Amino acid sequence: MAPSQAGYAPSLDKLLKSLKNHPLEASIDALIFLLTRRQVHGDDCAIATAHILLQVVARSKWNDVDQLLARVQKAGSRLVHAAPDEPVIGNIVRRVLGLIRDEASEERNADDLSESASDIQTLTTSSSPPPRPPPLVRSTTAGGSMLVSKSMFNLLSVADPADLPTGASTPVSQAQPASIQALRSEVIDGIEEIMDEISQADDQIASFAEIQINPGDYVLVYRPSKTVEKFLVKAASKRRFTVFIAGLEPHKKQGAEAPYAALRKKLNAAGVNTVNLASNGLTAYMARVSKVVISAKAVYQNGGLLVDSGSCIAVQAAEAYSKPVIVLCGVYKFCPQDPSEELSSGGVKGNSSAEVSYAEGAEVDELEVENTVTDYVRPEHVDIYLTNLGPQTLHHFAGILADHYKPEEMLLSLQLGEA
Amino acid sequence: MSGKQGAKGGAAAGKPKKTAKPGAQEKREDVLQAVILADYFQDRFKPFSLEKPRCLLPIANVPAIEYTLEFLAANGVQEVFIYCGAHSEAIETYVHDSQRYSSRSIINPFSSIEFIRVSDATSVGDFLRDLDKRGLIGGDFILVHGDLVANIELDGVLAKHRARREANRDACMTMVLLQVPQEHGALKSRVITPEFIIEPSTGRCLQYEERHPLQSDHYTVLDPALFKYPEFEIREDLIDCGIDICTPEVLALWSESFDYELPRKNFLHGVLKDWELNGKLIYTEIMETGYAVRANSLAMYECVSRDVLGRWTFPYVPETNFVHGMSYKRVRDGSRLEDGVSISGEAKVTGSVIGRSTEVGAGATISRSVIGSRCKIGKNVRIENSYIWDDTVIGDDSWVIRSILAESVEIGKDCRIPEGSLISYKVRIGDGQLLPPNPAPRLSLLQHDGSLAETDSSIVGQGGAGALYEGPIEEDDDESEDGNGTDPAALQNSLIFSLAHLNLSASSISTLASHDEFDSDDEESESRLLRPDSSGASRSRLSSFASDDSAVASSLDAFHSDAVHGLVDALRADDSVDFDSAKLEFMGLRLANNASDSSMRRAIAVAFVRRSSELLSAENGGLEPTKAAEEAFTSKRGAVKFIKEVGVGGDDTSRQSEFALSLQKALLAVKGLEATRAGALLAAMLQQLYNLDVLEEEGILAWWGDKRAAENDSLTKIKEKCRVLVEWLENADEEESDEGDSD
Repeated sequence: MAPSQAGYAPSLDKLLKSLKNHPLEASIDALIFLLTRRQVHGDDCAIATAHILLQVVARSKWNDVDQLLARVQKAGSRLVHAAPDEPVIGNIVRRVLGLIRDEASEERNADDLSESASDIQTLTTSSSPPPRPPPLVRSTTAGGSMLVSKSMFNLLSVADPADLPTGASTPVSQAQPASIQALRSEVIDGIEEIMDEISQADDQIASFAEIQINPGDYVLVYRPSKTVEKFLVKAASKRRFTVFIAGLEPHKKQGAEAPYAALRKKLNAAGVNTVNLASNGLTAYMARVSKVVISAKAVYQNGGLLVDSGSCIAVQAAEAYSKPVIVLCGVYKFCPQDPSEELSSGGVKGNSSAEVSYAEGAEVDELEVENTVTDYVRPEHVDIYLTNLGPQTLHHFAGILADHYKPEEMLLSLQLGEA
Repeated sequence: MSGKQGAKGGAAAGKPKKTAKPGAQEKREDVLQAVILADYFQDRFKPFSLEKPRCLLPIANVPAIEYTLEFLAANGVQEVFIYCGAHSEAIETYVHDSQRYSSRSIINPFSSIEFIRVSDATSVGDFLRDLDKRGLIGGDFILVHGDLVANIELDGVLAKHRARREANRDACMTMVLLQVPQEHGALKSRVITPEFIIEPSTGRCLQYEERHPLQSDHYTVLDPALFKYPEFEIREDLIDCGIDICTPEVLALWSESFDYELPRKNFLHGVLKDWELNGKLIYTEIMETGYAVRANSLAMYECVSRDVLGRWTFPYVPETNFVHGMSYKRVRDGSRLEDGVSISGEAKVTGSVIGRSTEVGAGATISRSVIGSRCKIGKNVRIENSYIWDDTVIGDDSWVIRSILAESVEIGKDCRIPEGSLISYKVRIGDGQLLPPNPAPRLSLLQHDGSLAETDSSIVGQGGAGALYEGPIEEDDDESEDGNGTDPAALQNSLIFSLAHLNLSASSISTLASHDEFDSDDEESESRLLRPDSSGASRSRLSSFASDDSAVASSLDAFHSDAVHGLVDALRADDSVDFDSAKLEFMGLRLANNASDSSMRRAIAVAFVRRSSELLSAENGGLEPTKAAEEAFTSKRGAVKFIKEVGVGGDDTSRQSEFALSLQKALLAVKGLEATRAGALLAAMLQQLYNLDVLEEEGILAWWGDKRAAENDSLTKIKEKCRVLVEWLENADEEESDEGDSD
């Protein structure tokens, strides 16, 4: 009889809690349906993807690296398709794939250079039994130069670790299970690191707040996300400035709190004034604004941004007044690909009733309502990309992407991003 | 029923439940259960529902039940019970074969899906009473219909419902309603207007009525008790999406009322009306955002389909591919295409949804339509606002405007399918056929009883197959108990496809679909004439019932016909001379229907009049009126006493005169009895009753003086025949008084 439960509707929390009790496929599908229904969206997608891929690595049956890569990629591409407006899912899938390849190649090295076992101990965090190489099915004549073309032809099976430039030719090894176990735990550790990175990204970004915000600034934010909120609160602890909150929801639900009340309370407590701007009034204030802070859903390799719909207005207004635009985005949001045509030319269409209520009346019958969920911001409108690694500019992109993705996964973009 | 409950008192009403499941309720409290009603005992979707159940009809290429199941899954329902009636195998096969919902599937969001068939069910009420018997329900559950498309979140509603139940155990049900303005399309498409009378501060529903444009009185009668509340709202702007959050007590209420058939018209109305007896409170939850509409008629089917196209039902729209195996993608011009669709370069497709592997020929124009999988659309075809199901072929240069074409329909070249057409499965239409636009054609291979119809080549043309579909006109009268009783006029008009009439005036909208429960009993008007009786209130044995208003007319009519049948049968019976069992049955009926005194009086009068007039006729011996009256009243032991106690109900003059008036009016309604003979019979009956001490002379004289007895010519004619009797009575009276004087 206790009315204690928060609710019956499935959510990410419930899914994560129940991961252990459900078969793997069920968990993957549960997340897919959460994504389809948009019960998981925004920044939660990244962490959810990481959790599910962790399960794939830990619980699915695989005998060699190829199989593991295929499993991860299959699960990953299903997740990507479930939410085409969340490119960050694809990023995590790529990161995990890259991680598996890395670990596999390290193991190869370890096996080759068995004398340098101590090095490996330092490289790998786990104290697993001496790693063994995965089985080699194919001959290992392919050199590094062959790699790219090969992966383009046959994406699912590129991952023969022997093909990697670092791997010299080695005999097929005998004892599999131990090495599989080792690789498994290595990869799991790696995914946990990615999860840590995701969860810490906001705090790390916020730690740069006092550098970016000067006393007396007028900062405009558009529908602040959690990332932006943390950033502002952190800045408020050090600086005195004024925040304009723009892009309030067109109609708010009855009985709900005033928009962003919690944020405003926190900021006011720290002595920072906040001003709510009605939906499109922000351009009038732009002359007064000293900088615009938005957060991105994803950053493409050309520097363009995928943002929640509406932020585009703030960015363009800032451009017109030559005000700097600071984009907050964790490195995990950097996509090694260019935006798909659909996303850059109008975006995914969402629930029509988010903008016009179904109850609005007769005109609903005749009206074609298109509610774009995302906006695309062109790279020239952005001044600073503030990541968890610090402020970056477009010039650093190639380096950041190269640090985080392997060339094989960059090419995967075609498969993951489309269809 | 109500009598028994009344004896127990409101507070004790919840008691029997406690013994049933104290443990189960605790244990299963956190498992959310839902019941899907997948049969409606209606004909609205015929001829399509002849071959497929309503909940498998595709809405934007997805069977309706997928939307319902997805809605339940999205709200965290764990256990689902599906009640099937017609086509239950089809529904079971569909769910069992579905990748997602089959019992073997590990990705099934529900821990169990159970199908329940009730072989002898004739209404939704039978389903729910069956559910109560099974004891499957542990705690609160969600009751929905299999044709629901919704994307609302129920968590908040469930929490509120639980809080109310905590505060008051009698808060047994919460209805989810959607608020839209009057002129909204979804409201225009409905035939029956539900009226919720709500206490705005709490959301409690105080009274429920239904209106439809065919009813004779265009008003709602408010319960006088309502005016005790500080404020109430009468809402007609609500879409009733049929989502109810119920406690197990709701099922108990259904079981207590064996004659409730429909969840709203009967159950909700009845429970609210009797709330002083049962003490149950029913609340409403009015949603201002979100989408929840039932595709419960063809007009609503169109409305829901359009809303899916317009993404109001997001995320349950084709492009999110929310059902396993879907592969829709958005293309330019707002269309959604599935894999393998080939559209010729010159074709123009706007705002439509097209299923897998469909081919569209050059020069075709398709706008705001849904086209199923594997269809072949020829060259220069024009399709507007139409819903075309799988495997349909449309020949070159044909036009299809605002119609529904079921699976595997073949339309020849250069045909015209006018607005509002309904073309059922596998119908073939030959080349160059122009279907008549008015009335909009309904074509089917089958007749309403499922037998093959003879092909009518004047309609479907050379090489065609199919005929105009005719509804089951005669059967309907017999089915009036199922809630299907339809005004014959409405039935004829309902053959016209409702879509075509959306733009007509309000009065013709009424003729769109078959009505749930419109009972065109000939005697209905009569019942209304009789109802406002002065004596009823003073001797009402059910004083807690506020009043009998016209809205309960249909239940009274049911009572009337049942009661008359019962009585006449008892009077006819040759094998028994005892009237007691008939009396018992009559009293039972009366309690069950909460019949008023006036309706009882009317029923008794009609029964005896019918019996006596029967005796007059040649095949029953052709008795003289006097003999017939005597036979009718005295052949059965106890009949006279019954009339005196129940029919008249006392020695009061006004009641006696009312009874005489009822007899007179009943005689008027007897078919094939000319007025003079009717008058003779009335005189004979009155005299008989006088002799039997049922009526006294004051009563008869009061009737004689009553204006209502001479309201029109035929009444007067009957009355005139009694003049002799009355004069004789007056004389007797005088004599008596003379005697009295002389004493």
